[in-house]
Amino acid sequence: MITTAEAIDRIKTRIGVEGPAVTALVEAGHLRRFAEAIGDPNPRWEREAPPTFLVALAPVSLHLSDAEEYGQGWLNGGNRFEYFAPAMVGDQITAKVRVVDVYDKAGSTGNLLFIIFETDYTNQRGEKVARLRGTAIRR
Amino acid sequence: MKVEVGDEIPELVKHPTTRQLVQYAGAQGDFYEIHYDQPYAKSVGLPGVILHGLLKAGFVGQLVTDWLGDNGALKTFEVSYRGVDMPGHPYRCRGRVTRVDGKEVELEVWGEDEGGKRTTVGTATVLMRP
Repeated sequence: MITTAEAIDRIKTRIGVEGPAVTALVEAGHLRRFAEAIGDPNPRWEREAPPTFLVALAPVSLHLSDAEEYGQGWLNGGNRFEYFAPAMVGDQITAKVRVVDVYDKAGSTGNLLFIIFETDYTNQRGEKVARLRGTAIRR
Repeated sequence: MKVEVGDEIPELVKHPTTRQLVQYAGAQGDFYEIHYDQPYAKSVGLPGVILHGLLKAGFVGQLVTDWLGDNGALKTFEVSYRGVDMPGHPYRCRGRVTRVDGKEVELEVWGEDEGGKRTTVGTATVLMRP
């Protein structure tokens, strides 16, 4: 178990460093299972990704063992999607994730560690599809 | 579609079950045990298994796309999770129009538990088709 200050110092050295690019195909069966899991029967999702689907194509955060030495578990603090082009069945989407910030905040049961991740998604034509900003909380 | 500030969009009520959490874990590929393993969830101080934040985001996303239909495109969608929610309880997604600037429309959106507590709060911006 490490202190918040130690965790922040260690994770700060990772800011801006990109994880390995992950490329995944948008498959009709995967879209269907994802829409069914949300319980969204809109037939539009037979060919197009629903708003939050991109998170299913690649991990949305880097595995930071330094962070896991702090606290007892993860919480998702929030997600922000910015859309540039739709992701359609057959698209090859490449995701690249990086740490953009780390800080702490006092919570009701002790300090919370906030790590902000950003993921850029591009398609097989090199077009930007979306950017996701996520807040992972270690508690 | 005519849109005015203050318009409420039709609500969407979900009835999440533990089965759905497992289904979602598989579909997203998020196998963090707090979403399906009761003893594990309790061991890390949670009241039991909880909904994935991104599942709640998916519910709220559906709220927006059901309302929008083919009348425009989603430009940004942002949610913050303010509390944990457990399966077996209805989850009510709501929203209203907060800004109309030409073709750009901003919505305040949220998900609330059966006590009316907003455990997911967010914003969506859409570009309406002419």
